[in-house]
Amino acid sequence: MATGGSDLIRQMARGDRQAFVLFYDRHAPVVFPLILWIVRERADASEVLQEVFWEAWRDAGRYDSARGSPEAWMVTRAHTRAIDRVRATRRRGENRGTIPSALDRLPESQREVIELAYYVGFTQTEIADRLKQALGTVKTRMRLGLERLRDVVTTHS
Amino acid sequence: MSHESFDTLAATYALGALDGDERAEFERHLAGGCAVCEATLRGAAEALAALASSGPPMLPPPEVKDELSRRIAATTPGRRAEARPRPLVWAVGTLAAMIAGAAFTGAFVAARYEGRLGQMAREAASLRTRVERDAAALREQIAVYRNAVDLLRDPETQIVALHGLGPNPTATGRVIWHPVNGGHAFVANLPAAPPGKAYELWTIGEAAPQPAGVFQVDGSGRGTHRIPAVEGGKPVKVFAVTLEPEAGVPVPTGPMVLASK
Repeated sequence: MATGGSDLIRQMARGDRQAFVLFYDRHAPVVFPLILWIVRERADASEVLQEVFWEAWRDAGRYDSARGSPEAWMVTRAHTRAIDRVRATRRRGENRGTIPSALDRLPESQREVIELAYYVGFTQTEIADRLKQALGTVKTRMRLGLERLRDVVTTHS
Repeated sequence: MSHESFDTLAATYALGALDGDERAEFERHLAGGCAVCEATLRGAAEALAALASSGPPMLPPPEVKDELSRRIAATTPGRRAEARPRPLVWAVGTLAAMIAGAAFTGAFVAARYEGRLGQMAREAASLRTRVERDAAALREQIAVYRNAVDLLRDPETQIVALHGLGPNPTATGRVIWHPVNGGHAFVANLPAAPPGKAYELWTIGEAAPQPAGVFQVDGSGRGTHRIPAVEGGKPVKVFAVTLEPEAGVPVPTGPMVLASK
């Protein structure tokens, strides 16, 4: 899947619109559901998606493949922009159904903090308040959860 | 602070949940160039990207791509590869890469989510056909308006009023006419032509009426018609519209529905 991903970004940096179209077709179906899950409104998600890809086109020259895959580059961007959007509109909510993903393979306590942070946009302090847990406990669960997630996705992909 | 605390901060930061003083502290630490934390953040970003890819893909609304293409085309003129002719080899190579890229992406996704994606792709394709058809019609319309506007800027251009005759006294029209470049007729309040019939426009000068093309009107009785220039730039004294067989006739046979004075 990574074949040619970095090449496309290099072509985009040189102003190749056709490369951008291929890049969009490859990544938009992956980041769109993530953005939609976070911002919930389809119209908002479309706006965020457009901004994310616009920035990718603009910043293509600054992409460094040594610092991460094109997938990570786009997912990080999409996540940051989507969380910015829900925090700005103060429309964070939760319990919107199951996140269809590898997250299911994590222990419940770790899955819960990752969902609240990554998909809902709560900060560590807000999560500790909601769960009535010590801040240190919440952070440790996030660290363990991310470590576990790395194992899960590397063994299943 | 031992580095283990930073590992925890890095994980929390990667999830976007680090706040307050700890966030500032961690960002200072990162700015200082910590290779361990950078590697942790990279690992987390890759894992989260794999997490995003583990769910079912979803096609975004096609407008997003259209709008992006428009923005990119509008802001980056002259940087484009297609702006100047390229060797055939390059074009073939690009085409092959596009086909290979599309096939690769398509095969990968389709293998996992064939049914769902197939349905979405069919919807997208039908939407695209519709949008392309609308776009072609709009482009045609814009070309007419642009040409009409160009004509209006020319001091030699005249505007001639057409008046309804016979059974259609409320029908109206305007001809924008340039003696060398020809012009356009814009008509309103004409009933739709009966099946097998069309409206035909005539230019009348010193000699017999010259046929200037057939046209139809839309559901609201309006029509637009491009009038070719008259051969030799001979002056036109009268513009007239008659109802004729669909294919048009060389000399008027049907009732006159519009004419200039």
